[in-house]
Order: sequence, then C-alpha cells, then structure tokens
Amino acid sequence: MSGEGDLDVVDASGRSDLDWALKGAVAAVNTPGIVLFLSFLGFGAMTHDFGWPLWIAVLSTALIWAAPAQVVLAGALANGAGLLGAALAVTVSGVRLLPMVVALLPVLRSERTSLGARLLAAHYVAVTAWFEGLRLTPTLPRTARMPFFFGLANALVVGSSIATAIGHAAAGVLPSALSIGLLGLTPLYFLLSLERGAKSLGERVALGLGLALAPVIGLVAPASDILWTGVIGGTAGFLVQRAADKRRRP
Amino acid sequence: MSPALDPGYLLLAVVLSFVGNDLWRVLGVVLSARLDEDSGLFAWVRMVATALVAGLVAKLILAPAGGLALAPLWLRLAAVGCGLAAYGVSRRSLTVGVAVGEAALIAGVAALDI
Repeated sequence: MSGEGDLDVVDASGRSDLDWALKGAVAAVNTPGIVLFLSFLGFGAMTHDFGWPLWIAVLSTALIWAAPAQVVLAGALANGAGLLGAALAVTVSGVRLLPMVVALLPVLRSERTSLGARLLAAHYVAVTAWFEGLRLTPTLPRTARMPFFFGLANALVVGSSIATAIGHAAAGVLPSALSIGLLGLTPLYFLLSLERGAKSLGERVALGLGLALAPVIGLVAPASDILWTGVIGGTAGFLVQRAADKRRRP
Repeated sequence: MSPALDPGYLLLAVVLSFVGNDLWRVLGVVLSARLDEDSGLFAWVRMVATALVAGLVAKLILAPAGGLALAPLWLRLAAVGCGLAAYGVSRRSLTVGVAVGEAALIAGVAALDI
C-alpha cells in the first residue's frame, strides 16, 4: 500500500479490502469450489490408502496447493519412483501453472500491488482459483480485485485442507462402497477437467495419447512412465498442432 | 514400514514438490510482463503437462495402487463411461459428469457386495 490517496480509490464503492476479501471467500462456496472440495475428499482418501499420515496429506494441500501435482506425487511414490523421480514428475506437472499466472496477474494487479502481493497471488493460482478469479474479478473495481482474490483463494485452500482431512479420516471407517467411491473421485474429476481444458487439436491429441500410452509405457519403464508419457504425448500433440496451423495459414 | 511411508521422507517429498511446483508460479510472476503466451515453447510445455496428467489418470483407473483396485476393471471403466456420457449430454458439466460417474461406481460396488 503506497499511501492514503490509494485508499480513497478503494473506497469509491464504500467497501474496504476486508469487505472484498469476505465477498471473495463467500464466492468460493459455489459449484466449482464444491467439486474441488469433493476432489480433495478423494485425495485425502487416496493418501490414507497409500499409508500417508493425515498431517502430511493436509500439509500437501495447504503447501503444494495443486491437486494434479499432489496426485502425481502420491502416485509416483506409490509406484516406487523415489524422491527425486517423484519431485521431477511433480515439477513437470506444474508447468501448466506458468501460463495461468501470466494470464491472471494483469487482471488482478493495480498500481498499489507490491511484488510480494503478486508472488502470493501467484502461489494461490491453481485450476479452480484461477478459473474463478478470471471469471469473477474483471467486473470489480481494480483495487478490489486482489483482496477479493485473496479471500476467494484462501477460502478454497482452507476448505480443501479440511476436505483432505475428512477424506483421510473417512477412508478407514466408511462402508467399502463409499470409500471406493471416494477413491474414484480424483481420476474422474481430472479426466473431465482435462477434457474441458483441452481446446486445441494438439491438446486433444496430447490428452488421448497420454491416456493410451501410460499403460503401455508402464510395462517398459514402471518408475518413470508418467514422465515419458508426458514427453511423448505432449510432443506428438505439439507437432500435430503445428502441422494443423501450417495447413490453415501456409 | 517401507521407506516411502516414513513421515520424514514424505515431508521432504512434500517440501520438494512445493518448491518444484511454486518455481513455475514465481517464473510466471517474473515473466508475466514479457512472455508471449502463443510462443511454441509455451504450447509444447503445456501439452507435455496435459499428457502427463492424462497418463496419470489412465494409471489410476486401469491399474490403481490401492483400494480402488477392489472394484473390478470393467466396473471402473463402466463408471468412467457413465461419467463421460453424462458430462457429454449435460453440455460439459463437471458436476453432472462427476456425480453420475460416482453414482455408477458406488452402486456397482454395493451391488457386487465387495
């Protein structure tokens, strides 16, 4: 915050930063937020299944804050990928966050946004927070956007952490039909989100090849199969997209 | 206890994953002013990430490591099929797709009395 003059801009609508943050937190309790909480319920159940302690599962949600990365981590460790292999797979899965940050920050920031606030906002970028942030903030006064986003993202993180804990705790005591159902949530939710996110032909090829290649590559290189699937499927998708682009405008 | 389940080992894995994941977020802040979102390198890394997560989904469905394996393969595939079909006819509603797929999986497991 650079000075009193800026506060007048915020208050043009008669609301303080805290009011906007609260409005953001309330906006988190919406269909995308609820689907997200359900998927973290599934993640919590999955970590219980893999033998993680509850606090590690909750910490991974609060700290890593990216469901695909967390599932990659849990899956890679369960497949015996080792610490470095698992961290590398997680790092590769996080690449998609970079363009999301690049797309969202110009919408959120105002002249009084510090570098620290931008870094913190970037940390909160994950599929649901990003999508809802982009959908809800552009109609707000510019100086209200960052506090609104912080309220939204924090509510999503807190709700997801609680959901992780509940999923972990419930996995052991629920009737087996429900606990197996919880374990199925994550792959189902990811599959549908990937489908909805894959707009170009190349991304569809990457998605389809990723699904088809992983079981095959798993037979050859079980510890690094996810990485290889990513590189081969992604490169193929990229080449297909480039060929299609060339054909359209030679 | 296998080494992969030691809390210290898991904590280190979570912290390393946090660093690896937030690397991209920090880079996004640094580059947000000058990176061209339409560049080739960008498109490539995004597609690699898509294929990677898709591969993971396939493994979780076809060869799950934990309790999901108690549901037979045909039931897992049928539940995913129901979810995809519901998602398709509901004009790509994640909520409807997930709800129907889940209902199919839970009903199937209950009916088979697993």
